[in-house]
Amino acid sequence: MSKWKWLLECLASIQLTLYCLALMMVLVFWGTLAQVHMGTFAAQKEIFNSFWVYGTGLFGWRVPVFPGGLTVGALWLVNLLAAFAVRFHFQRKDAGILIAHFGLILLLMGQGLTQMLARESQMPIEVGQSRNYSESPLDMEMAILTTFDPQFDEVVSIPYSMFSREGRVRTPSLPFSLVIKRFYRNARLGMMGPGGTSLATQGIGPRIAIEEIPPSSSDDEINAVSAFVEVLTGDQSLGTWLLSAGLGAPQAVQVEGREYQLSIRPARRYLPFSLTLKEFRHDIYPGTDIPKNFSSLVHLSHPAKQEDRDALIYMNHPLRYEGRTFYQASFGKNDTLSVFQVVENPAWLTPYVSCILVLLGLAVQFLQHLWAFVRQRS
Amino acid sequence: MKRWLPTVLVGIFAVSLLRSLRVPEARPPFDLNGFGKLPVLQGGRVKPLDTIARASLLMVSGKQALQVEDRSTRASEWLMDVMFRPSRADAYPVFEIDNPDVLGLMGMEQTTNRRYSFLTLQPHLGEIESQATRADAIKPERRSPYQTAILNLQGRITLYQKLQNTLDLERYQFLAQVAEFYPLPLPETGASPTPWVSMGEGILRQMLRGQLHPGVAAYAAMGDAYRESEPSAFNRVLNDYRRWLNTHVPRDTSLAGYEWLFNAVEPFFQSLVMYTVVFVIVCLSWMFWPVSLTRAAFALLILAFAVHTVGLISRMVLQGRPPVTNLYSSAIFVGWAAVLLGIILEGLFRRGIGSAVASAIGFLTLIIAHHLAAQGDTLEMMRAVLDSNFWLATHVVCITIGYSSTFLAGFIAVVYVLRRRFDRLWDEKSAATLEQMVYGVVCFSTFFSFLGTILGGIWADQSWGRFWGWDPKENGALMIVLWNVLILHARWSGFTQPRTIMTMAVFGNVVTALSWFGVNMLGIGLHSYGFMDKAFLWLMVFVASQLAVMGVGVYTGRGR
Repeated sequence: MSKWKWLLECLASIQLTLYCLALMMVLVFWGTLAQVHMGTFAAQKEIFNSFWVYGTGLFGWRVPVFPGGLTVGALWLVNLLAAFAVRFHFQRKDAGILIAHFGLILLLMGQGLTQMLARESQMPIEVGQSRNYSESPLDMEMAILTTFDPQFDEVVSIPYSMFSREGRVRTPSLPFSLVIKRFYRNARLGMMGPGGTSLATQGIGPRIAIEEIPPSSSDDEINAVSAFVEVLTGDQSLGTWLLSAGLGAPQAVQVEGREYQLSIRPARRYLPFSLTLKEFRHDIYPGTDIPKNFSSLVHLSHPAKQEDRDALIYMNHPLRYEGRTFYQASFGKNDTLSVFQVVENPAWLTPYVSCILVLLGLAVQFLQHLWAFVRQRS
Repeated sequence: MKRWLPTVLVGIFAVSLLRSLRVPEARPPFDLNGFGKLPVLQGGRVKPLDTIARASLLMVSGKQALQVEDRSTRASEWLMDVMFRPSRADAYPVFEIDNPDVLGLMGMEQTTNRRYSFLTLQPHLGEIESQATRADAIKPERRSPYQTAILNLQGRITLYQKLQNTLDLERYQFLAQVAEFYPLPLPETGASPTPWVSMGEGILRQMLRGQLHPGVAAYAAMGDAYRESEPSAFNRVLNDYRRWLNTHVPRDTSLAGYEWLFNAVEPFFQSLVMYTVVFVIVCLSWMFWPVSLTRAAFALLILAFAVHTVGLISRMVLQGRPPVTNLYSSAIFVGWAAVLLGIILEGLFRRGIGSAVASAIGFLTLIIAHHLAAQGDTLEMMRAVLDSNFWLATHVVCITIGYSSTFLAGFIAVVYVLRRRFDRLWDEKSAATLEQMVYGVVCFSTFFSFLGTILGGIWADQSWGRFWGWDPKENGALMIVLWNVLILHARWSGFTQPRTIMTMAVFGNVVTALSWFGVNMLGIGLHSYGFMDKAFLWLMVFVASQLAVMGVGVYTGRGR
């Protein structure tokens, strides 16, 4: 037997399947318990959506202690593919097994694609308002907004990875450059007491006291990402501003007679169309505060495609449009604000197909067993 | 005699069932049954006063009936005292308080008597409320036992006071807001479903529009007659009002009457008793009269299952929903499906194993359901996200069938492991039969767990855009699928011994119990139902017992 054949048979072995299943069980159990103190999002990221699960070893080093969800999933996928190559028999008797396992391959690949490609964001709209973007509260951006053209605003967005390091940020499309003087992953903001000093010289910054706090991984808290930013034209400093996700309004900078608005805000994803919230309903059961139904009537307008229509988004009935799906997620402000979850997942159909295949395969296989059992008894 | 055993046994239980349809008369002769059937609106649905009485008494005192001066008082009688004669009800020892710190707060020592009257609590109401307000500010999973207990007591006091106020006619304006239930239907509005209003609102409407609601007058007259101990006047008013309800809100009235009957018959309690007897008979059959006792047990199991089914269907009719809508109903359904599968196995193999395992699971799940019922109305309304009969009927039912069958396989495996170790008459043939049973049930369970999990994913994709979100409840379902698949592959691999497979099947019980209840105790995730501490202890006891059985399975040598 050649060395390669031997390796392939190891990869195709049912022992490896058993190991994969057992590893997956451990991961799922661990990941569920970890959600209690880490929060759902962080546990997903560190345990299921990672190649290795890290623990803290000697000297505070992060050491890989267990294969993560991606590793186990990939190993399982290899095991399945190898089984198709060398172990399975392509005969009518095994049709159920073949179909079910093929469906499983699709399911694993689809889940892998989803974990890599799917993006989730949120879209809060107040009644009467229109929106053409969604936001990701877990991902921040530094936005520089210009309003020279009354028809539309122009935005330069600097991603988190670029402004989270202290130092100069290159912004070729702007007539000035930015220097990050101090960066905070999370901060508590308050009014500056008497005698306090600030790195900021311009905007609201000099009146604000800032204190660094550890970033939160909880799902319902937003980190107040903050930075002291110096604006330079050439080598000349225009001053230092404090920007923070914890501050509401953007701050203005005048450069060469033009106004630019600076802010740190949840990263926006612009859509080629807009939604207007016409009506939000929140029904409860009589005599209780148990919600019976939430629904939002929105107006969808996409000038480029001549689309101009109303759509109703309610529980278990999302709006699917242009590769995005809008779900009724939350509400607020005395029922005048509706929040949609916006999901872009190009692989959303794979689980449907693969599940039908797996179920079909299982049904064929088990009914064969049942039939054999019944014949044996009679 | 032996031949007639099955018939005699089933006959005895059938007679006792029929007897339970007749409800004892109350003393003195007020028409308690008629009062208990009156429909009112609470928690978003119309139900008979009897249901409110039972659920409230259960929440306040932990019991469905009350002992006052050495005689048993039924829940609806207690409710009448609470609403119509508060001074008497206030002296009943109904508030169950176990926590020594809560008792200490009121300067009381812990004694064997665990129930206290409202009069005893009255001087401390202010202190209890302020302590409860503090405890309320803390997240549920971080509360100490004392904080949980004080909040719980405050909740029960509020419920008691609301019940007292609901039919009170003197402070009606204030009462429009704090009523525990809405007793007055407004059929004249013609709206569907019929709107219901509180006593206070009924009186306000009367003042504004000059029309007297017959319910206001009826409840007032019943209250007077009850206080003055005039049963004939009470019964006459009650009858007239019920006739009015029958003509004006016929559907609500007849449903409430049906629910009253359902409460009175207590089908789940009846089948609980029968499951216990079945289990005992099967155990006896292993010692003597194997054939006739096994047959008797099987016959009684079928009767118990029939009663269980009637209860399940009644709940579906009353709620207009598929069988599983909350944790309570999942317990009822897990038991039901497991018993059904057990009956099929018994029909195929006739060895008493199916009956034993089915009755054991039926008994355990109904005990669990009984304890879950203490948390309030078990036919509560569905929250918006869950409000979809299609997904409740498909995803939830499949997942629950997955629980049932995994438990069934696990319990058969427990019998296998224990008998292989301790039963001297154990032979290879019985072993092979049980192995075959477990294999078949695990296949069944894999299919339904997988189907249920997938349908759950599709529901999640439809409702919040994530096919799979690694939510604790989803993970629990996935673990059951993974474990069943692991068992099947271990068997197919050919190098795992049958006894190892059986020991693995026992662990299926642990996985299922954790996925069913453990997940709810995490107190997080989109699916959670609430935090339960006592249940946690029992869950750990169950897990430990299963691990012990697995220990026996591993320890038992190759020879046996």
